[in-house]
Amino acid sequence: MSLTAFIGSMELGLVYSLLTFGTFISFRILKVADLTVDGSFVLGAAASAVFTFEGMPFTGIIAALIAGAMAGVITALLQTKMGIQPILAGILTMTGLYSINLMVMDGKANIPLLNKTSIFTYAENFGGRAYKIIVLSVIISIIFMLLNWFFRTLLGLSIRATGDNEDMCKASSINTDSVKIVAFALSNSIVALSGALLAQMQQSADVNMGSGMVVISFASLIIGSVIIKNKNITGGLLSVVIGSIIYRLIIALILTTNFPPSYLKLISAIVVIIALCVPNLKKKMEVNRKERGRKNC
Amino acid sequence: MLKLNSVNKTFNRNSLDEHQALNNVNLHVAEGEFVTIIGGNGAGKSTLFNVISGSMLCDSGEIILGSEDITYMPEYKRASFIGRIFQDPMKGTAPNMTLGENLLIAYMRSTNRNIMGVPSKKEKDYIKEHLSSLDLGLENRMNTKIGLLSGGQRQAVTLVMATLVKPMLLLLDEHTAALDPLSAKTVTELTKKIVAENNITSLMITHNISSALDLGTRTIMMDSGSIVMDLKGEERKKASVQSLLAKFN
Repeated sequence: MSLTAFIGSMELGLVYSLLTFGTFISFRILKVADLTVDGSFVLGAAASAVFTFEGMPFTGIIAALIAGAMAGVITALLQTKMGIQPILAGILTMTGLYSINLMVMDGKANIPLLNKTSIFTYAENFGGRAYKIIVLSVIISIIFMLLNWFFRTLLGLSIRATGDNEDMCKASSINTDSVKIVAFALSNSIVALSGALLAQMQQSADVNMGSGMVVISFASLIIGSVIIKNKNITGGLLSVVIGSIIYRLIIALILTTNFPPSYLKLISAIVVIIALCVPNLKKKMEVNRKERGRKNC
Repeated sequence: MLKLNSVNKTFNRNSLDEHQALNNVNLHVAEGEFVTIIGGNGAGKSTLFNVISGSMLCDSGEIILGSEDITYMPEYKRASFIGRIFQDPMKGTAPNMTLGENLLIAYMRSTNRNIMGVPSKKEKDYIKEHLSSLDLGLENRMNTKIGLLSGGQRQAVTLVMATLVKPMLLLLDEHTAALDPLSAKTVTELTKKIVAENNITSLMITHNISSALDLGTRTIMMDSGSIVMDLKGEERKKASVQSLLAKFN
């Protein structure tokens, strides 16, 4: 792998680790697969691109954070107050967001940001070739520390407990509906931040750039959890960053072969399928082995 | 303390399966009373607990706790002053969180706490001290995931969680029925101790008639959604398992 390709995958890995922080909150902590992500990622990118185009990259990032949180609140409201199944609630918001995203992008499917000032521009002079990595590392460190603190607060503990045993939370006088709304808002806000940074980094936003983001982030989550076994919050957050970077490096390695890039989504899906069914297959093999052992004696 | 006035609850109204689970129930429980509730399956005991705790709303009547009408208050709000323990020991604790974290969540409901605050060392120490005063041998396992504890230990922890902050009312729904005899005895003793020491007004459903008479200060029997017997004082002291069994039929 060339140095350029390596730097490129590090950059993408870091951007996608923010996306994966978001699904870490919904999938690992609340134990709900939140499909809003495919839409809120683009929403973040769109909001960021619109402002960056007008020369306000930082405002774009803030706008993305707020817009993402709003998308999360909608999914959470559908789930809690309207009683729609969690998966369906995510799909509905994601579908609706497609039109909203186009609206934000003023009806254009693509916003090019070539030669526009982005938040990365400021680091160009001192960062050398790795200037994007420096900016991203700073942002990720901040989000990492914030989340690490947040999940130790009483609100954070309540979110974790809601995912673990909702009955117990209600019995402890926790309003689980409100807790879910906060968690989904936080999750999608970080996902939107990921999209916002990607748009500024790649100097374009595309209305279709979100498709398959859920699966990519699940693959990263799973790779991370294989490498870091520590299940507490710090370990979990660390595994997200490591998993996302390794996922990108694997993809870069595949791209150095003659493998057609159009197969990448299929590979991501297969990685997730294998990882999710391994525990089940292991159990079946164990039973088979025991059965054979008994027949032999 | 707790007053239920003409409480009714009917399931599947206007269908062939219509079933009146609570039929004009009137129950007044004084402060500090420990009421044991017996009755066959389908007598309405659990429905009674469900309407008191708010996991179900009654069709008519009113429920007053202290000076507040809680008939239509949402479940999670009532939970700040009603502790409830279920038969299933898995229901009351979060398995993937540590013992310490579970207790902290129970402790949270105490006051109007700042939800963005991180629990202090002092609070953690208080919880640990409280736990060690109960002699369960769990105070050194604060960082153990609850899922790794036995059913009996989990039920004991649930009881500690429900009473860590003194509730106005404690509802015990056959909370020892799923435990082995030894754990059941430990949890029963613990219940006795906690309720007596803190003078907590309690209601306990049980299928064990001898423990219904042994524990508490008052025993009621339910049948077809109504209270059919109410024993206290001298009358209760004279009652025996046999005499109650005779009433069952």
